[in-house]
This record gives sequence, structure tokens and C-alpha cells, in this order.
Amino acid sequence: MNHKTMKQKLEFAAKDKLYVSIAGVLFLIVTGYISYDYLTPEWKEYQSEFSDVVAEKFGEERAATIPAGLQQIYVKDLNLSDRCITCHQAVEWKGLENGHNPYKTHPAAILKSHPLEKFGCTTCHSGQGYATDMNSAHGFSEHWEDPLLGKELSEFYVVSNKSAMMQVNCNKCHRFDKETKGMDVINRAKQLVNEKGCRACHVVNGRGGTVGPDLTFEGEKSPEQFSFERVKGFASMFTWHTAHFKNPKELVGETIMPNFGFTSNDAQALALLVMSWKKTKLPVEYIPSNNFKDVPTTEEMEKEERMKNGPGAFFVQKRCFVCHSVSSLGVEAAAQIGPDLAMAVEDVQSRFGRTLDDFLMKPTGTMEVVLSTMLPLTKEERLEAIDKLRNAYELKKKEKLAVKK
Amino acid sequence: MEEKKPLSHHKQESEEQHSSRREFLQKVGVGSVLLSAGAVGFQTLRSLVPNVLYESARKFKIGLPTQLSEGVTFIEDKQLYIFKEGKSFYSISASCTHLGCTVKHTKLNQPKEVEIHGEKKTITSEFHCPCHGSKYYADGTNYAGPAPRPLKWYKLELSPDDGQLIADMGIEVEQNFRLTV
Amino acid sequence: MQFLNQLTALYKKLTWTWNPGSDKEAGDAIVKNVLLHAFPNKVSKGSLSWKYSMYLGTISFVLFVILVVTGLILMFLYVPSVERAYSSVKDLEFVVSFGWLLRSLHRIAAHLMVAVVFLHMVRVFLTGAYKNGKSVGSNRPLNWIIGLGLLLMTLLLSFTGYLLPWDQLAYWAITVGTNIASSAPVVGDKIRFFLLGGNFIDQNALIRFYVLHVFFLPMIVVFLFVWHMWRIRKDGGLAVVDQEALTQKPEKVIPVKSKTYSLLGITNGSSVHVQTTMVNEEENSVASIPNLTRRLWLVTLGTIIVTVILSIIFRAPLEAAANPAVTPNPAKAPWYFLWLQEIVTISTIPLGFVTINGALIGGIILPTVMICLAVWWPYRDPSGINSVGVWFAPERKKQNRIFIIICLFIIIFTIIGTFLRGPYWNFYFPWEAWPTMPVKY
Repeated sequence: MNHKTMKQKLEFAAKDKLYVSIAGVLFLIVTGYISYDYLTPEWKEYQSEFSDVVAEKFGEERAATIPAGLQQIYVKDLNLSDRCITCHQAVEWKGLENGHNPYKTHPAAILKSHPLEKFGCTTCHSGQGYATDMNSAHGFSEHWEDPLLGKELSEFYVVSNKSAMMQVNCNKCHRFDKETKGMDVINRAKQLVNEKGCRACHVVNGRGGTVGPDLTFEGEKSPEQFSFERVKGFASMFTWHTAHFKNPKELVGETIMPNFGFTSNDAQALALLVMSWKKTKLPVEYIPSNNFKDVPTTEEMEKEERMKNGPGAFFVQKRCFVCHSVSSLGVEAAAQIGPDLAMAVEDVQSRFGRTLDDFLMKPTGTMEVVLSTMLPLTKEERLEAIDKLRNAYELKKKEKLAVKK
Repeated sequence: MEEKKPLSHHKQESEEQHSSRREFLQKVGVGSVLLSAGAVGFQTLRSLVPNVLYESARKFKIGLPTQLSEGVTFIEDKQLYIFKEGKSFYSISASCTHLGCTVKHTKLNQPKEVEIHGEKKTITSEFHCPCHGSKYYADGTNYAGPAPRPLKWYKLELSPDDGQLIADMGIEVEQNFRLTV
Repeated sequence: MQFLNQLTALYKKLTWTWNPGSDKEAGDAIVKNVLLHAFPNKVSKGSLSWKYSMYLGTISFVLFVILVVTGLILMFLYVPSVERAYSSVKDLEFVVSFGWLLRSLHRIAAHLMVAVVFLHMVRVFLTGAYKNGKSVGSNRPLNWIIGLGLLLMTLLLSFTGYLLPWDQLAYWAITVGTNIASSAPVVGDKIRFFLLGGNFIDQNALIRFYVLHVFFLPMIVVFLFVWHMWRIRKDGGLAVVDQEALTQKPEKVIPVKSKTYSLLGITNGSSVHVQTTMVNEEENSVASIPNLTRRLWLVTLGTIIVTVILSIIFRAPLEAAANPAVTPNPAKAPWYFLWLQEIVTISTIPLGFVTINGALIGGIILPTVMICLAVWWPYRDPSGINSVGVWFAPERKKQNRIFIIICLFIIIFTIIGTFLRGPYWNFYFPWEAWPTMPVKY
């Protein structure tokens, strides 16, 4: 072999070796970057800062109890997993009511009726519960349709009531309430719907006229279905609805919808109301006024009240009523297996040839078994029973006399 | 070519330096690759360790104590028995301490006299495991079959908000635990 | 000591299950073993050169390995159900450690693989490497066809993977893509029905695409890939080797035993002597180990680094969850089908009473014709033996030009479809802003 080729061969091999080394180092740098990225997520900063806040206010000991790592509220019924509490760790923490976000306690009253484990965060606030960085979580990122309905958005749309936007979400469940506490803006809009007679032309919540379009699921429409050619400002459904309520003709030339001269606030309220009309799938127990309850009739209520607190309450408490009625005291047997105890004084005598007193103190037959195992009665209770049964017998006799007359 | 020209001493030395530098560089390269490969291996395994869980909570509400029926209530999806004896409550896990099958609460035909931890007791029910025949007394003490330990007892408490009974399957308690309402 | 013997015996059993009866039998066994022939003993410098092959085949293989590895991990983390798919991808993005990287790597590697496999095909055409040279027993046209199969499988793999995130992008891209199938005459609708397991893209379609994506298509790719490699060895290496052989003076040499590539000759019935065409191979070739293997390491590392960097820069998008009620504007097929979509939109032809759907021409007829032409061409190509294994051989000027024009058309249409088509499929120059699409709030 000649030496020239030998050298050429070596040169190419040496170059390759150098390149492999460089590539190796590059690979290490890239892996290093990824590891660094893994070790320093945004939420870790928030968690350590929260720990400082707690340490300062409540001491190191309490700070040590703060859970670390990604946190989530998983609500199976709503198919929801909200990681908001990864950074907003103070939500259920007492004593940070005046803190600043994300280290601020959530108003407690509303959480009591809407507990976190049942509602999560995004059910009311919107935003992207899946996300674990602020931008994506607050949902102002591309491809997320439901941004956080909070301060930023209210300021952007110049909505005077800061909780107004969020009430869209309240109305997902409270849709059929006439008025709901804390939902002033939607309440106002609902009032307007009645006052202005929207149902003359539109179907609202399933009833109304057919002159205008059915609005029952207006909130379900996608923004693509609206024409924004004549809309000034930011192209959003909210802008469209607000502008349309203020002056329908300006947006839809051929419309016959009259201009009601709504104020800005009212137009925004109505826009929020129609946007809340969505096809939301809710488990029955989430609907405030659901009919999936066994509501007793007045008759049933009266009967229950009489049984519980009437003159025969003793026999209900002691569960005699399971088998026996005490007709004169208003006690009705659940299963009428035993004889009416109103006639016990006579009845015992004729059946067993013993006085009531004697029988109850030393029962025989079925009553012996029942009173010794299932419904044990003390001596005092037996005496009380005897007393009450005599009373019932007197009443029964009077009743009979009255009937005869 | 090198062989044709006699190499000077100096040149040879620089050649040696050159080659040692080359070797060093090569070692750095190979080392980096190995290190990165290790890191990638770690990352791969790490990705399979979940950071969030979609499991139901270990602490949950059962309902108002007054609405619970007397005696035993079985909460199926949590493998938990809740006992109500008048005003006192306690809960025993239904998960067999052998291999985790759900034990069945069985009423005895006749009350049975047993000795548990040197104490004589009358029991009216037992727990039987369907998988490998483990048996437990009414208080969860194991007495037959492969079960190595008594059934677990979990803490019960009342919710300060709405007075509902809360079972906390994260906290184990002694067999004498009773929640009195 | 006895234990050691047992261990050795066990090792032998595991590695060499069969004991050859003779040397010839042993030789045959080695010759027939594809795994032992991934690499030749020696490799020519022409084959090693960056300029000739550009290592596009190697790169696509490395990309495939990246896809398999990331894909296997993703299979643990992704749930192929309509209810859970989207949220499991969201979880990958947000809560699984390195989940974003896995997903992004898988996506970028898939896109790169489509591009690199295509470029590999372009390289093979322009170097005339689908033609047989002088070496006996070569059948390069067959390998070209296997390569076409690999290209199609790559496209199908990418396409089936497209649906899995179950977001708007996925849903509508697959809607558009599968509707092309339904434009095939007579059986079109039935094909689509079978492909989707129904009339609409739903759970059936998702699980079908998933199973195809994670099992059947990769298996076919592995099989075709092995065959592709095996054919390269049987064809006497890359086409450039034939070119080198032409420029070298043949000399009579004494047959040398124990040369891998010579042994390969035995399988084709030729003798060791005949195969030794490269006479001055000592000068022109180097040992495969470590020279070729080192090169492969270099290419592997390079590919991995580039893929990782690209996946960090271009994070995989995830649009809103799939919603059959709302079509995003614009809705596009996967980018590698956009040249077809571009043709589809301009090729609807009214013919008196009947209108021929553009999808039929652009989506069915045109690709079918192109594939048939590609399969047929190597057997009809008139260019001579001197043009095998050289870039832009003068003899192949005409066909190269036509091929380049077709490729340019595909590339330009793809670019137009991907970057210059905005809402309502309107054309927008790069400096023109697309109208912003309205949002809810």
C-alpha cells in the first residue's frame, strides 16, 4: 500500500473522530439544557415564594407542611383536572385573605357551597386547568378558547363589575334560577329578558316566539359563525353580542330587531347571559333546582309531623308503629301486622285473659320475643307505655260514642 | 511520507502532544455521549413516574351521621365498612390484609364466644375473605387463613362545615377508636 | 469451575442454537444470516463519502429509531380513547416529566423522516442508483420499489399518527385526508367506511388508526427496511461502487478466502473469483469497523442533536379538543399531502353533465399514476452503465430534468399549501397578514 493513501485514510478517520467528539459534547449540552429545564419549572418558583410568605407570617413549622410538587384537583364527575393549586396554594389557607395572588385565600363563603373537591377551579373561573405555567393556565394562549374570566379580561373589555364575566360560568348551573345571590349582572340580564319581552320573538330556555332565532343554546355557537365585518374593535363573540345589543342594525343590516337603547352595562350583561346559554353536561346533583328529589306532599309532611311529634310520638320512637297502629293517637302502622293498640286495654284482656299491665310486664308469644330481642323496653318505659295506652283507649271510646251519636 | 524525512526531536514532541490532545478530546467526546445517554435513560424512566394521580380521594364525606343506618354500611368503591352503634361510629377496611380482596361481612347464626387478645368477647358477625379463606372477628382481628394482620381501622371525623361524617383512609387508628356524635 | 462450564454451555445455547456439521454448512449459515451482514467487511471510500449518499438513508433509519423509542414510551402515557386521548396529550404537555420532549421529538422526527425519506428517493434518482451495474446478481430496481414502499409506509405512519392527539388539527386533517379516499370511483365510500370503522371519525377510527400506527405499519417498515438493507448487500453495495469499479483497471488476482462479500456471491451461485472486481481495493477501501461504524455514530449523534434542538425550538402544537361541530378555518391536511390538496382544489373539472371531483383526479388518479410510473421507470430507463452511481450523469440529463421538475412542483405546491394558504384557502403572500380569526372572549 502506498503511503499517500495511508495518510489520506488516517486524515479522514481523525476528522471523523473529532466530529464525533464535538457531537458528543453538543449532545451533552442539549441534554444538560433539558435537565435544567426539568429542574426549574415556573411553578417551583411560586411554591418556594409561597413557602417564604408562610414562613414569615406563620413560622417555619407551618411552611414545612406545604405540599410540594405538582398539585391537582381531580373531579371525576365533571371530568376535570385543575392544576391551578400548584401555584395558588393559599386557596384554602386561612389568614392570607389580604395577600396578593397567587398567595391569597379564596373567599371562604362561596367555597363552602362550592367546595373545591366538587367544583375545581375552572368550572367557575375558566382558564386552562391542565396547564402548569401561568400563560397557558390563564388561557390567553393560542388554541385555548376559554381564558380566565378575571381581572385582565374585565379590564380589557371595560366591564365595571369585576366579577361580571365569571357569572357566565355561574349560569351554567344556575340557568333556571329567577335570581341568584351574588350574580347581579346575570340577574339584571334575566330581568331585562322579562321586561323587554325577548320571548315575543325568540325562544329562550325552550319557550317563546319564532320570529327571531332560537336563543336556547346561543352560547354554544362558535365564533366562526358570526360576521365581524362591521364590528369595531377586538373580534370576539363578546364584542359582537355587546355591539349587537347596543345597536342590532349596525351589525346585521336586514334585522328587524328593535334598538332597545341598552346602556353599555346592560348590553354587556345581556351578552354575558346569552353566552352562558350552553349545552353543558352536568351531573344531576350539580343542578341547584333539580327535580331528582323525593319532595313530600303537604299531606305526607303533616302525617310525618303528627307521627313524630303528636300524642303518639312515644310509639313511633319506640318503633311499636312498625306493626301496630294507635288510631286514636294518630299513629299509623307501616305494616299492619299487629292489632290496633288503641283498643289494647280490651284487646289484651280478650286475647290473653290478662290485664294490659300484667301482659306488658311479662309478655308471652310474639311480643315476648320482640320485646326481649329487637325492641328492649325498660320498666319505666313499659309503665309509660301502659299509661299512654290507657289514655288512647279512653280517646277511642269517646270517638266511638261520638260516631254512634 | 513521515518515514522519508527524518523527524526532528522537536517535531516528534509536538506530534506526541498533538496525539495526546487528540486522545483527550476523544475521551471527552465518548464521556459526554455516555453521560448524556445516562441522562436520557433517567429522563425516560422519570417520564413514567406520574406526577399527578387520577385516583379518588382517600378522605371523603359519607353523609350525615343521623342518616346512616344502624349497624353496618358498606362503601363499595372504597372497600370500607362503616359501623354505627347508636351514637358511636367506627370504620374497618374491607381490604384483606393478605392480598387485598374485599372481605365479606358475615352475620353469624348464633352469637359466638371468642377470646381476642386475652379478652373474652361475644361477637355476632365476622369477616370472611373469598380469595384464600382468611377469617376475621367482628373487630377485624384475624384468626384463620393466611391473613397476617388484623383488618385496618380508619379514622372517622365530623366535618366542621356541614356536620357530615368524613372517613379518612389516610389515617389508621386503634381498634378501640370510636367517634361519638 | 463446573458452574463456569455450565454457564458457557448456556451462553452457547443461547447464541448458537445449532451446531454446523461441516465448514461449508457453517459458511452457508453465516451467509444466510441477515444480522451478520448488516455491514460489509470493507467499505469503499466512495460509499463513505458525504457528497455521494449524504447519508440520507442512515438519517431516516436513525429517525425511525428515535420514533420507535419515543413511541414506545408514549404508548405508556397515551390513552387511545375519545374521552381520554386529548387530556392524556395535555398531560404529556404539562404534567409528565419530559412528556413535552417525548411528544415534540416524536413529532419532529416524524416530519423529518417524511422529508428525509423523500430526499433519499431524490438522491437515488439523481445518481441513477436504481440501475444495475456490472456486479452479478444485483437487482437494484427491486430495491427502488422496496424504497417506494418504505416512503408510502412513512407517509401512512405519519398520517395515522396525526389523528391521535384528538384535537381540532388532528380531527379535521384526517377528515380532509380520508375524504380523498371516498372520491375513488365505486368503492371509495366503502374504503373510507372500512378505514374509519364508520361514517364519521370517532372511537372506531381512533383505535384503528392507533393500532395501525403502533403495530402494523411499524412492523411493515421493519420488514421492508431489513429487506432494503439486505438488497444493498446483495446488489454489491451502493451504486457508487459500480462506478468505482468502472474506473479501475481490472487485474487478475488470486482469490482470497473469508471475504464477506465474496461469500455473498456463493448464495447467488457465482464463484469467489468472479466477485473480485475491485482489484485495487486496498487503496480504495477501508475496514468497516471502525471507519463505517464511527461514521454511523457520527450521523446518529448528529441526527439526534438536530432533532432534539428542533423539538425544543418548535414545540408540538395542540389545538382545542376535537369538535365535529366546528371546522377551523383553514382546515388543512398534513403538510406532506398539501401539494395534493392544492391540486385537489384546482382540478375539479365540469364535463357536460358530470363533474369530476378534484379529489378523484388530484387525490386518487394522480398519486396512483405517479406511483405506477415510479415502479415502472427503472425497468425502462435507457441510460447506460456509466451513469450508475454518479450525480447528474450527462447521459441522464433529460430524465433528471423531468424528475426535478416533478419534485419542484411537489415542493412548491407543498410550500404554498403549508405557508401561503390562509382562511377559506385564500392565497396570502408571506408578507401579508392573515385575517385574525374571532375568539369567544
